[in-house]
Amino acid sequence: MLEVTGITAGYQGGDVIRDVGFRVEPGEAVMIIGSNGAGKTTLFRTVLGLLPPSTGTVKLQGEDLVGISTHRIARKGIAFVPAERRLFPRMTAEENLALGAYPGRPDTATLEGVFDLFPRLSERRRQRAGTMSGGEQQMLAVGRALMSRPRLLILDEPTTGLAPKLAAEAYRALEVLRERGLTVLVAEQQVPLALAFSNRGYVLENGSISKAGTSAELAGDPDVRRAYLGVS
Amino acid sequence: MIANLLDGIVLGLQFGLLAAGLTLVYGLGGVLNLAYGQMAVISATTIVLAMDAGMPVFPAIALGLAAGGLLGLIFDLTILRPVYQRQGEARVLLSLLLTLGLAFVIDGYLSWKYPTKALTLRIGGGPIEIIGVRMVRGAVVASIITVVVLGVLLFFFRKTTLGRAVRSVIEDEEGARLVGVDPRRIMRLILVMTGVLAALVAVTRSLVVPVSTTAGFELTVSAMIVTVVGGLGSVAGAVLAGIVLGIISTVAASTVGTVLSLVILLVAAAVTILIRPSGLLGVRE
Repeated sequence: MLEVTGITAGYQGGDVIRDVGFRVEPGEAVMIIGSNGAGKTTLFRTVLGLLPPSTGTVKLQGEDLVGISTHRIARKGIAFVPAERRLFPRMTAEENLALGAYPGRPDTATLEGVFDLFPRLSERRRQRAGTMSGGEQQMLAVGRALMSRPRLLILDEPTTGLAPKLAAEAYRALEVLRERGLTVLVAEQQVPLALAFSNRGYVLENGSISKAGTSAELAGDPDVRRAYLGVS
Repeated sequence: MIANLLDGIVLGLQFGLLAAGLTLVYGLGGVLNLAYGQMAVISATTIVLAMDAGMPVFPAIALGLAAGGLLGLIFDLTILRPVYQRQGEARVLLSLLLTLGLAFVIDGYLSWKYPTKALTLRIGGGPIEIIGVRMVRGAVVASIITVVVLGVLLFFFRKTTLGRAVRSVIEDEEGARLVGVDPRRIMRLILVMTGVLAALVAVTRSLVVPVSTTAGFELTVSAMIVTVVGGLGSVAGAVLAGIVLGIISTVAASTVGTVLSLVILLVAAAVTILIRPSGLLGVRE
């Protein structure tokens, strides 16, 4: 579904990621793990066209996305939930969700699906996004992404700023989505949660992929255990 | 006193309509359009010339509104192009310089070519009595038109998909792009819309006072003051600030005179900014 090859990208200060490649097959849940500053966000921003890569290709079902603007990529079926969530703070939860379906009108069945997954959003539908709690905002960000009925859902550290209980709940929701057949790509620092959720994964270290494998393989890898699972 | 209050509301509604155009463009992309008053004046002059050439009043007004919209589109496609390529403060500054320069050019040309032209639309019939006060018919009609236009604007922003997309860009441009909104297209739409708004300001104002070819800067400055007090990017704030400042302005004008009333207006604006830097209903940065 998504195939990224040889991406090098960064900001004026220099490259943040170098020669990064990975792929996501339809129906898979793939994780990219790495510590703070490893380049996970830069990588996702490049995929979404928010940052132009200096070299490399990003292919969605065979079509190269490099050079295509972000709003077009979004309309091709990639929904991205950034770590900062990027909600519209002075709009109600309902208006945020409606914009998720842009340029179309929100589809009732999809909206009901989102409310099913996050009943809390249904209770808060008239509340302004900016006044919601961190957990609710995360639900809203995921809900807004789902409103476009994406082919691929990409989440950048969905547990940022969430208490452990809420973080686990967020992954339970992602689990439900995966069971419904949604393809999910997630970047995570909280590695145990991501390992339990995904089929496969990549380890991003200092801007390069250092390891790749099934989640079971990575969970058994001594380096991963030491660096990310706190096991010596 | 009540007469002053009503006159203030009439003026305030026009202030609100005027500021709405400026505040939207700034809120959307950090673009300051200092040729905004001149957009209104060009529309007014178009209507005058069309009527001089024998065109009936309503088609002439329609032509003026179209001219305003077209002007907005031309702005978007020409002088604002280099502005869009810059970010942040550089963008604000460049837009300010380019549109100010353009405003001087338009002002100079119009006052050289048509020094004595002014748009005055008269509505027949005597004054209308409102809660015991006799109001000039033109002022009442102008206010009704303004209220309707503001109502349509608020409906557009609150209830339509496109209007919500405009707000999404004002609130979080990156978030807007991620849901599939094209900020450039939205900006173009809003520039056309504010061009039409500027033309509507010219039309409604000319029902009360003549709109001369040199009125551009006065309109822009009024719009700026109202925008800053109302809060950048907020149409509701523009309307609220417009009405407050309109009332202050007319009450002051009738008690201490026109010159001092302008001073009082500026002081009121300065005090608001000191107390609430983001304006009455502005988005906090």
